[in-house]
This record gives sequence, C-alpha cells and structure tokens, in this order.
Amino acid sequence: MIKFLTQFGRYFLLLKKVFSKPEKPVIYYKQTMREFVYLGLSSIGIIAIISFFMGAVITLQTAYNTENPIYPKYLIGLGCRDSIILEFSSTVAALILAGKIGSNIASEIGTMRVTEQIDALEIMGVNSASYLILPKIIATLFFNPVLTIIGIIVGIFGGWIAGTLSGVISSENFIYGIQYAFIPYYITYSLIKTVFFAFIITSVSAFQGYYVDGGSLEVGRASTKAVVYSSVLILLFNVILTQILLS
Amino acid sequence: MIRIINLNKSFNGKLVLENISVTFESGKTNLIIGRSGSGKTVLLKSIVGLHEIESGEIWYEDKLFNKLDFAGKKVIRSEMGMLFQGSALFDSLTVEQNVRFPLDMFTDNTLEEKIERVNFCLNRVDIINANQLYPSELSGGMKKRVAIARAIALNPKYLFCDEPNSGLDPITAILIDALIKELTEEYSMTTIVNTHDMNSVMEIGEKIIFISEGVKCWEGNKNEILNSNCGTLNDFVFANSLAKKLRISNQEP
Repeated sequence: MIKFLTQFGRYFLLLKKVFSKPEKPVIYYKQTMREFVYLGLSSIGIIAIISFFMGAVITLQTAYNTENPIYPKYLIGLGCRDSIILEFSSTVAALILAGKIGSNIASEIGTMRVTEQIDALEIMGVNSASYLILPKIIATLFFNPVLTIIGIIVGIFGGWIAGTLSGVISSENFIYGIQYAFIPYYITYSLIKTVFFAFIITSVSAFQGYYVDGGSLEVGRASTKAVVYSSVLILLFNVILTQILLS
Repeated sequence: MIRIINLNKSFNGKLVLENISVTFESGKTNLIIGRSGSGKTVLLKSIVGLHEIESGEIWYEDKLFNKLDFAGKKVIRSEMGMLFQGSALFDSLTVEQNVRFPLDMFTDNTLEEKIERVNFCLNRVDIINANQLYPSELSGGMKKRVAIARAIALNPKYLFCDEPNSGLDPITAILIDALIKELTEEYSMTTIVNTHDMNSVMEIGEKIIFISEGVKCWEGNKNEILNSNCGTLNDFVFANSLAKKLRISNQEP
C-alpha cells in the first residue's frame, strides 16, 4: 500500500514538473510537431487496418445473430455504427495505442534515462520532464481524437464492404441503418473518452520510462508495465466515464 | 572555484560518501580517483546537483549551491558543462544539433551565429565534416569529443568529466586527456575529472583526491602520488604488474 501511494505521489509530482512553464516555447513547439508525426501520423495505418476489420466483423456477427425476420435488416448497419462509435473507435483503439505508443514512449524515455541523456538535460538547466513529456501529451491529446474520427469512418466503411460483399445486407439497408436514430452526442462521448485515454497512455508510459533505474532489462520491464497499467486504467476510466457521460 | 564541506550522501540508509571536504581550484584539472564503486560518480553527481545530499555544503564561488532553489541552480547550471561516461549525446539529433542544443535553449543568437559557434567548438575538438552524422554513426572517441564540444558550447566556468577515457584505446585516451587539459587552461575553467585510469592521473593530475569506500583518503598532485604513504592509494596506484616493476626498479639503488 505504501509503495502504491509512493508511486501515486511521484506520478503527480512528475505531472507538476511536466506542466511547469517551458524554457523556450519555440523549442517545445518544434518538439510537439515532431511528436505529431511520431505518435500521431504514424498510428493512422494501424488504426485504419484494425478499424476496417473490426467494422467488418461487427457487421457479419450482427447479421448472423439477427437472422430473425422480425428484425429489420437495417439494424445491422445501426449496430455496426453504434458499436464502433461507442466502444471500438475509442476504447479498443486506445488499448491498441497503449501497446503501440505507450511502449514507444516508455522505452524512448527509459533509454534516455539509462544512457544519462536525461541527466545531460538536467545539467544544462533544462526541465527534462517538461521538455520530454509535455510535447508528447499535447500531441496525443490533439491527435488521438483525429485517430478516433478516422477509426469511425473506416470502421463503418469496413462494415459496409463486408456486409454488401458477403450479401448479408444490401447497400441501401446498411446506409439507411447507419443514418437511423443517429445521436450526435455519441460522437462527443467517444471523443471525450479518447482525450482521457490519450492522457492516461502518455502520462503513465512517460512516468514508467522517466523513473527507470538500471539497464536495458529495466527499460523492457518499464515498457511492459507502461502497456499493462495504461490498459487497466483505460478499462477502469471507460466504466467511470460511461457512467458519468451516458447516465 | 568549487568548495565541498563535510559532504555526506547515502542511499537507502547506506552511507556512500562520508564527510568529504575538498576545494577544486579554477584553471586546474582536478581529479577524483578511486576504485570502481568507491563513490566517485556519486560525488561528481552530488556536486552538480543530480543527487540530493544528506548534509554538507557545496559552494560555487560564493553561492551555496545545494541550498538554492531550481531557478538559482539553473543560473549556475548554465555555467556548467558535463561529459558523461557514455557521452550522453541525444540519439535523435545530429552532431550539429547536439552541439547546438544548449545554444538553442539558452541563447537568442541567430541561426548563423549558432552554427558558427558549433563549427568553432567542433573544430576545437578536431571533429571535421561530421556535422550531419548521428551519434550511432560515430566511434567512441568521436562521441566523447562531440560531447566535449557540446559541454563547452556555452563557454562554461565549470567542466565535469565522468570517466572520459572509459572504453577508449590508450592513444585516443591520451588525446582526450590533453584536450581536457588544454580547454581547462584556455578558458580558465574549474575542471573535475573522475577517473581510475593511472595514465590520466600522470598526464593531467594537477590536483588529485583519492576516494576509498566513500571516504577521502588522500589529496595531492601527480608528483606526490608515487611517494605517498597511504596504503590503499598505493594498492590502487601500483595495482598492475608494470607499475609494480617500475616501483621496485625505482627503489633499487
């Protein structure tokens, strides 16, 4: 329990350092642009691929589980749309990003720690926590919602392709379904969750990397911990946010 | 000048530095020597503020460094340069960007002025035509020299070197030692070098302190070290067979 509280305290002390005034905003701006590319743009591919296949599978499973003639066919499109908007584009995508960018952040910062690059920054008088972590947090907070929107569009497109090519639903029914009883707030709900998840992934992973003590083995362990802790927190906050935002 | 008074440092209750008091003079190459694990690196990192100390005083000229807040320390840190054991160059930046980094962070110079300074520093350490290379493309000796160039980019008053010769061949090690000594004299810096390399001790040791198990056992210079009465120091200095033979031949009438 004491260990948990100690880690909890260290996490918030690190955040305090991260959100202190930047030494030179123009340098931070450049770093943030770099992180947009490394953490954001480079994740578009994996999000698009996973969303496409998720959308396809959701459509097919919904179709095979609603074969009763009393259910209108357009429900397949509606089910695909809501599943993707409410859960898959935000929560599942966040779990995948925790694996991809979470491990990347923890190993990058952890390696900098064990090779004394963070000490070199501190010696120069640079606030290393802010310089290394703040641009990553800003980049993911702004870019992950874009990834969510891409995930929603590609996921529904995947559902449409799978549904029409397999013949379980006509194109007209699917398009009618994805337009039927649309609640725009669901998009807002999904984006709010994404912002929270982006913060969890980046800050927890950076925390794990920043306090690595040892060598390459510890960097590997920190990377694993970053993914595990981020994933658990994402699932926990998914429940909390859903209760708050949809109740 | 850097003055240390009764410095104590422990990790998890275990005392690793005990009552260290020493004065490091400006314009001189000051050496901290000792066996691996004796506390040299901890002492160096305590002096630069990377480790919090339990008790004692660390004075940079007339400023009590260990009692300053972050802003106060930052002012003194802007006058520090440090060469780390593994060079600690930023992997994602080129040689030029590495040396330019402190200039980007702490000066308002134009890009041309900064590049001019970068080239001056790189020339000073004999790194030519390597501006666009990444650290992974450099040899160990080149990395050390680029790290020295980065350390002197802001004309520091204090230069700290943690085992600058580790992993280098004897000839490159001598070149690095000579460079550190030249720069120290040229810029009148207070230079502190951590080493367990006896070649360095004999080449550049203008002031030397010997640490054993966290305690300062001896203080002197390179001319005095061979005639010391300190047993642990003699065990360290004459550890290899060549040094032992030299000692015996010197003692013979």
